[in-house]
Formats: sequence, structure tokens, C-alpha cells
Amino acid sequence: MPDLLWADNVSFRYAAGAPLVVDGVTVRLADGALAGILGPNGSGKTTLLRLLSGTRRPSAGRVLLGDRSLDQLSRREVARRIAVVPQETELAFEYRAIEMVLMGRHAHLGVFTVEGPDDVRIAEEAMAATGTIHLAQRFFHELSGGEKQRVIIAGALAQSATLLLLDEPTASLDLGYQLDISSMLSRLNQEHGVTMAISTHDLNLAASICRELVLMRDGRVLAAGPTADVLTPDNILALYDVEADVHVHDETGHMTVVPVRRIAR
Amino acid sequence: MRRTLAAAFVYFVCFVAGVWAGVFAQTPPKRIISLVPNVTEMLFAIGAGPQVVAVSSYDVEPPEVRSLPTVGALVDPDTERIIALRPDLVITYGSQVDLQTQLKAVSIPFFDYRHAGLEHIMVTMRALGARTGHADQAERAARAMQASIDGIKARVAGKPRPKTLLVFGREPGSLRNIYASAGRGFLHDMLEVAGGEDVLKDIDKESAQVSTELILARRPDVILELNAANRLNDADLKAVLDPWSALGSVPAVKNKRVIILNGPGLTVPGPRVIDGIDKMARALHP
Amino acid sequence: MTIRRRVFVVTSAFALVAFAVMVWAPTVGSTPISLARAFDRSIPWDDNVDAQIFFVARLPRVLAGGLVGATLAAAGVVLQAMLRNPLATPFTLGVSAGASLGAMLAVTTNLELSVLGVTSIPLASFAGSLIATGIVYALAASQRRGLSTNVLLLAGVTLNAFFSALILFVQYLSDFAEALRAIRWMMGGLDVASYTPILAALPFVVVSFVAFAMMTRTLNLLSVGAESAAAKGVDIVRAQRVAFLSASLATGAAVSLGGPIGFIGIIVPHLVRLLVGSDHRIVLPASALFGAAFLVLCDLAARTLMSPLEIPVGVVTALIGGPFFLWLLVKRS
Repeated sequence: MPDLLWADNVSFRYAAGAPLVVDGVTVRLADGALAGILGPNGSGKTTLLRLLSGTRRPSAGRVLLGDRSLDQLSRREVARRIAVVPQETELAFEYRAIEMVLMGRHAHLGVFTVEGPDDVRIAEEAMAATGTIHLAQRFFHELSGGEKQRVIIAGALAQSATLLLLDEPTASLDLGYQLDISSMLSRLNQEHGVTMAISTHDLNLAASICRELVLMRDGRVLAAGPTADVLTPDNILALYDVEADVHVHDETGHMTVVPVRRIAR
Repeated sequence: MRRTLAAAFVYFVCFVAGVWAGVFAQTPPKRIISLVPNVTEMLFAIGAGPQVVAVSSYDVEPPEVRSLPTVGALVDPDTERIIALRPDLVITYGSQVDLQTQLKAVSIPFFDYRHAGLEHIMVTMRALGARTGHADQAERAARAMQASIDGIKARVAGKPRPKTLLVFGREPGSLRNIYASAGRGFLHDMLEVAGGEDVLKDIDKESAQVSTELILARRPDVILELNAANRLNDADLKAVLDPWSALGSVPAVKNKRVIILNGPGLTVPGPRVIDGIDKMARALHP
Repeated sequence: MTIRRRVFVVTSAFALVAFAVMVWAPTVGSTPISLARAFDRSIPWDDNVDAQIFFVARLPRVLAGGLVGATLAAAGVVLQAMLRNPLATPFTLGVSAGASLGAMLAVTTNLELSVLGVTSIPLASFAGSLIATGIVYALAASQRRGLSTNVLLLAGVTLNAFFSALILFVQYLSDFAEALRAIRWMMGGLDVASYTPILAALPFVVVSFVAFAMMTRTLNLLSVGAESAAAKGVDIVRAQRVAFLSASLATGAAVSLGGPIGFIGIIVPHLVRLLVGSDHRIVLPASALFGAAFLVLCDLAARTLMSPLEIPVGVVTALIGGPFFLWLLVKRS
């Protein structure tokens, strides 16, 4: 399968002389992949996501989208192919959910163009796919955490992008919503063919839906590959300094991780 | 009646000043510092000039003061410098309360002055005369001023008094932020003596900012504009007069009776005011 | 209703209101005039007081009020979106402090300058506003990351404080008349009595408004967050630069024309958002139109309430703005 996105040995530091936040990382996302970028806080996951989406330029290495380097593409061109779901969204003004989703059409519209019926249809389809169509006229800030997150994801889908990058999509959500979001993402990937990379520190989320994992610690890749191969007790120990058991769950069929004890280093 | 009251007031002030002088100093002051430029001029007019040892940073008249040391002005009097010059009388302005408190603390007497109407100039001169030991000369100077004022009044008596707008401030080059006399105060008094009728009399304020609509509505017959420049050549004059032409329906503009009165001392409430009133009278009644 | 239609309908409604206000305002004032006489061409100009009151005293004033009101309101909208803060005003980033300092210096030095019919105070205040904009921009700009809004705010607030101190210092050094003139200028005034200052400010306002019009949708995205806007295809560097510079240019022109009239840039966008939502494609034109009408009405109150005297228009907007904000605070809690 062809690579959709390839981060080739990228490194990043926020300022000259500052330590490397991402250090020689290579990530390959094939078309249709559902990858997880897993690691503790401070491992460089969010920064790597920024490099992958092109909102930051790597200090070394390059990121290729298809066969073009990201820095050769305009932000609009990138936005038509890659969509990002950030960790949090704080609004300064009150927008309705449908307005938030329609903002995703920006990269497809000219300067004075207003969203037409096609754009509205795409937005509504995105909301239907995320189960939020009934919230269209509600104000965003009045929605629950889970509903907000799904609306944001709808907004990302409305970009008609083929690649979705998500930063801690379930971090601040209740268990019920976590399940909702993760099953929705899985469905989007399998039924609608959306390629995804999810950055998370939640082992079980990664284990449940991601088919491949990139384990990151201190800005470097610890291990990368299919989930079953990568999510081993040894790797978890190396990643989190935690002894854990890894099982395959009978009913769901996916891997679960049970932490046992913390190892002092 | 007014004259009698004024005289009574003068005598009262003299009495008080005399008592005060008696308390603080037995002899007339020999070292006077003046922080109020127009009072400085009065001091020189009544013969107390030689006793003035320092003046404010804004003093320029009479020419003798230009070589004297300066001690600050209304908002920034240099108290240390004042005290260091060892005055025995300081002329202060009424609002300089801090300075007055400090002078009291070191037992330096002061003469408190505030601006008021035209009459107050003569009253002040007489009071200064008593205070500085030049009572006779002050009386002569005050009488002479009064006579000049009366002379101008007589000259314009019986003549029709034109509705006059007396402008003393305006943004250069435009008609924005026009300030004019509005029926009260020292400038208004000058105008009355010169034979003009303040077109804004009903507003009854010392100064008012007037809009162009108000000027158009009030239709003054004459506009007198006070300008501080020493000299205005033809080009300057034209530049100053030009913005008024936008108000063509105003009789003063239509009949070319917008008159610029220039000179820095025209409206200083002191001896030179006669010149200002005279210029006004000639402008109003050519 | 489609978005396009909504933008059209709402903007037209506001345009109608603004037009009505601006047509009505010159017909009323502290002096009763006869419109019939004012428009009677047969009466010679110099004899027609009604016409002069209408065309010289009132109409330029209403036009200036419309221009300044529209500009300050629109600039407020843009800056609030860019700084993601509904409390930002066109004066938050130091532009008006620079303008005030320029005006102050012109007054104190008795500068007498005239360029294309524009006199010294508007010229100096515009120059001051450009300098202030330049300083804030230089402090906040960086090639890689565009304008940091945090640094922008800090630089603006600092510049405001610093320039205000300078203004006080210059005032202290000036004499009574100059100090009074400067203070009066800072209260705002629209009695221009001539179309020249309006025409002088117009090109800068037009250029800024063109920039505003081109970035309304971008403002929506910017107001949600710079990172998320970038991810949706906005060139953040360019967008922030254009927003800041055009809003500052417009504000500088408006303040040079009418002085620093406060509260328009914050009351109007607020009220408009309450009425029409937050989509900047509607909020921006609606605020401009509402701002024009609002300031013209404030000026009408300023020139009639205390007749024959006038209240400075900046005082009127402040007297309305203060209680308005208190009401907002109460409503929120």
C-alpha cells in the first residue's frame, strides 16, 4: 500500500539551543491505516502531530504527503488532505455546531466565496457520520464534552481530508464518551476509509482500535509496528516504567493492558 | 455707587494688608518674587520694579525682567529656589496652596492673587501699592488706567453695539475647537468697555467651546479673534482668516468684519490691557 | 436560509437603519432650520443660513461620525477575533495612545502645517498612530511564527502606559491654553465643518475595509484558535499580520479625524453579536453599519442635549458605555 504520509527522520526544537523535542523520528502512514502514537506526557507526541500536519516545520528531516514535501504545499492544499482534531477547543465567541463544522470547508472556498449547498451537504454528512446531526443548531459551548469532541471531529471530516490526525481525542471524556468516540473512529476508518493517526497516552484506547502503534519516549521512537507485536510487557515497561499484563479480551477481541506495579528507576 | 464700593473695598484691603505687613515686616519689602506675570507688570507700573528680584518662567514684560532669575511658574514653583533668594514678599496665585503652606512655614509673607474682572486690575494695583510702600504711585497708575478706560467708553458711547464673537482659541487652519468669551469674566469686560455686545452673553460663562452651528445660528456682526503672534504678515493673516470663509452666511464673514487682534500682551490683566481694549474698540467702531 | 442569503438580508437591514439615521441626523439639531430653504437653490449661498447650517455645520459632522463610527466598530471586531477576546478594543494595542501623543505634541509645539488641506493635529496624530503600530508590530513579529498574540497584547498595553505617561509629561510642560486644547481633543469631536478631513481619512479607511472584507471567514477560524485555524488552511502569519495592520491603519485614520472616541469599538460589536450571532461575515458589516448609526446618534445627543453648549462626543459614548458594561457584567453573573 502506498504511503500517504511519511515523516522521514524528523527532529524539532522550539528554539535555537533548546533541547530536541522530537529526535530522529520516522513514521509511515499507509492509506487506510489506523495508527496510534503512544507515549507518556512530554514524549513529543503533540509536537510530532504538529510536524505531521505541517503546522510546524521540522528542524531536520522532512515530511512527505504522497510524493510532495509538506513545506512545498500551501496551507490550503495541506488542509484539503490533512485534518487535525486538537486536544481542546476554547471558543471566545458563541458559534453553533453547524457553523463550527462548516469552518472545515474553508480550504475549499475562495476569498469571497460563501458556503454553497454542496458544502452544507458535506458538513451535514460529516455530522451524520459522527452522530451529531441533531445538534446542528445548538450552541457549541452548551454541548457536553463528548458532543463537543464529536462536533470537532465532524469539522475535521468536513475538510474532505483523507487523513485525520487526532491529539488525545478522549483525554477529558467520561468512560461512556470514550467508548463512543473510539468506536466511531474505528467505524470511520473501516467504513469510510479515513486514514488516522491518534496520539494518546491511553494504552487501552490504543490497544482497542489502533492496528499499528508508534511508541515514543523522550522524543524518540521506542518501537513501531502492528499493535500485537509492539504492545508487549517489555515495551510497556520501557515506555512507562510500569509492569503490566497484556491480554486479549474474550468478548471484544482486542488487547487490554492491566498495569500491575510501578518500577522505580 | 460702583466706584464707592470699589474704593471701600480698596481701603479694606489696604487695611488688612497693612496689618499683615505690620505683623510680618515693619518696612516695605525690598526683595519681591513674583510668580504671576501680570502682577509683575503691575508691580513695575506702580514703581515697585526695583524691588523685584526674581520672576516666573513665563515672565517677559517689562523688558527689565528678562535678565532676572526665574523660579518656576503656576504648577511647578521651585520652592527651594524661592526660599534661597531670601524674599520678603512672594506674589502667589490663589491655587498655589502647597507653596503658600511652605512659605508660611518659613515665615515668608505672600500676596495672594486671583484673576477676576477688569475692575480687579485696579483694585489689585492699589492693594499692591499699599503692600509695597508705593501707595501714591499705585493710586496714580490706577486712576490713569481708569481714566483711559473711561475715555474709551466715552468714545464708543451712543454708537450701536455690534453683536460680537470674541474668539481666543481655535485649531490653526480649521474651525475646530473654537473657544470664545461667553458673557462673563475679564475678556467679556474688555469687550463691553470696547463697545461690543457679546453674542454668547446668555451662556454666562467665562469661556465656551462653540460649534459652527451655533456661530451660524447666532450670526455675529463682528468676529474678533485674539492671536498671540507678535506680527502677522499678509500671508499669515490670510492663512488665519481663511477657515472663516466656510461660514459665509455669518454677517461678520459676509461683511469682511472678521478681525484678528494680534500681540502677546493684549489680554494680560495688567497695565497693557488698555492697549487691548483700545484695539478692540477700534476694530468694533472704526 | 442559506448563508449567502442571510449575509445579504442582515446587512441590508443594518444598511437601511444606518442610512435612515444618517439622512435624518443633519435635519435635526439645536437650531431649528427649514429644509425647504436649505435646499432652495434660488437663495444665494451667503444668504442661506439654513443651507449653511445643513451643509457646513451638520452634514460634514454626520458624515465624519458615520465614517469614524463604522471604522472603530469594524476595527474592534477584527481585533477581537484576532486576539480571541471580546473585550479587546481598537485602542488596546496602543494605536490611539500614539495618535494622542502625536496630537499632543502638535498642540504643544504649536505646529502649523498643512498638507493637502489637512492640518497639523490630524497629520501629527496619524503619524503618531503609525509609529505606535510599527513599534508594537516590530516587538511582536517573528518570521517563523507570525504575530504572537500574547506579545502583541503585552506590547500594546505597555505602549499605552508609556505613551500615556509621555502625554501627561508633555501636558505638564505646556501652558494652560495648550493643555486645554489637548484635553479637549482627547474627548473626541466631530465638528469638522469641512469635507477635507473626511476625504483625507477615506483612502486609509477604504483600504482597511477591503482587507477586512477579504478576511471575514478567516476571522471566524482565527477566533477559534491559531493552531486550529492553521490546520484548516489559514496562513496564520499572513492573516494575523493583515488583521493587525489593517485594523491599526483604520483606527489611526479614525482617531486622527475625530479624536480617540472610546467604547464604539467594544459596545457595537457586542450588541451586534447578541443580535446576529458570531459569524464574522455578518458581524463585520453589521457592526460597521451599526457603528456608523450609533456614533451619529451619540453626536446628535452631544450637540442637542445641553444646547447651546455641546458635550464632547467621547463623553457621551463613555456615559453610555460604562453603564452598558456594568449591565453586561450583571447579566453574566
